[in-house]
Amino acid sequence: MIKKLLTIVLFASITLIGCTAPTENIDTINDQGKAVMQLDYRDFERAASQMVQSLIASGQLKKEGGRYVVASGRIVNDTMQRVDTDQLMVKIEKELMNSGLVVMTSAVSGGTSPTDSMVYDVRDIRDSEKGSEFKQDTLQQKGQLIAPELSMSGKIIQRNIRYDNNKQQVEYYFQLQLANLGTGLRYWQDETIIGKRGDRKNVPW
Amino acid sequence: MRLTLNILLLTAAIGLWGCQQQQDKRINMASDVASDNALVNIVTKPVVYSFSWITGEGLEIDKAVTYVNKDGFMELEIQGHNRAFNPIRFEYKVEWLDGAGLTIASSTSKWLTYSAAAKGPFVIKAVAPKTTAVDFRMNTRKIPK
Repeated sequence: MIKKLLTIVLFASITLIGCTAPTENIDTINDQGKAVMQLDYRDFERAASQMVQSLIASGQLKKEGGRYVVASGRIVNDTMQRVDTDQLMVKIEKELMNSGLVVMTSAVSGGTSPTDSMVYDVRDIRDSEKGSEFKQDTLQQKGQLIAPELSMSGKIIQRNIRYDNNKQQVEYYFQLQLANLGTGLRYWQDETIIGKRGDRKNVPW
Repeated sequence: MRLTLNILLLTAAIGLWGCQQQQDKRINMASDVASDNALVNIVTKPVVYSFSWITGEGLEIDKAVTYVNKDGFMELEIQGHNRAFNPIRFEYKVEWLDGAGLTIASSTSKWLTYSAAAKGPFVIKAVAPKTTAVDFRMNTRKIPK
């Protein structure tokens, strides 16, 4: 009787193991995975790619005899998802820096955009008693930080629309703008829309 | 008898196709918007559509134009036509090559989606991520289901 029970349990275990979906790494170069209702990495890649190409083609980043210093402004996440806006901005900033057109500043930023706290930490050290421990000519001098000339800010918006009884439509708007901090003028602005339509039961957050 | 009728219909379809009034090629009138012709005629439409499907009509590239913009970045415009009677959605990826023929690493070289309207022209544009780009290559694929 026990032998029979063990055989059944063993058989059931093997069957259940066979039904488990195996974990696999995503092929991020040629991903053949189906679309999802939430924002995934492919959506951020598409939005970033289109934004960068639009910005470079606009010709607004060309500065005679040098490069613009750009600060990361505030990127508002107005979606129902917990989106880290750096997922978008890191890709865009990286490409813009690689293009040779601009240099980003880590000294100032808007909202939750990243700054490098070490920029100010080393200055605090310089002005404190600990500063005397350092070779004085290796400490950062006053008045050396470069102020940004341009700021990049934006917004990610989500709209949920009931498509029919069984389907819903989710629209994501990626909006980005580039402003001249000296004049306040807006040099460039663009929007990329990513729309998804799927089962109403799929929760897009 | 049925064979004869089919042949007659096919001949009529091909004949009507050839007799279509040539409009301004810059304007693409959708088959359900334009006035009655072989494409929308209730008799010939199934034959023409079937013929298109059997012959496997799809996208064709007319030409790829590249130029260097005033800031030194290469821009690409690919002009083509969708020969099919249905819109075709697909993905494309443009990769840029430098003077040595090496691929320029860029996060702009990603699979992007495009939709070509039925029986109409399409244009794909891309901008190189660096001024060192001198050439390009493009891949296409069906959108994963």
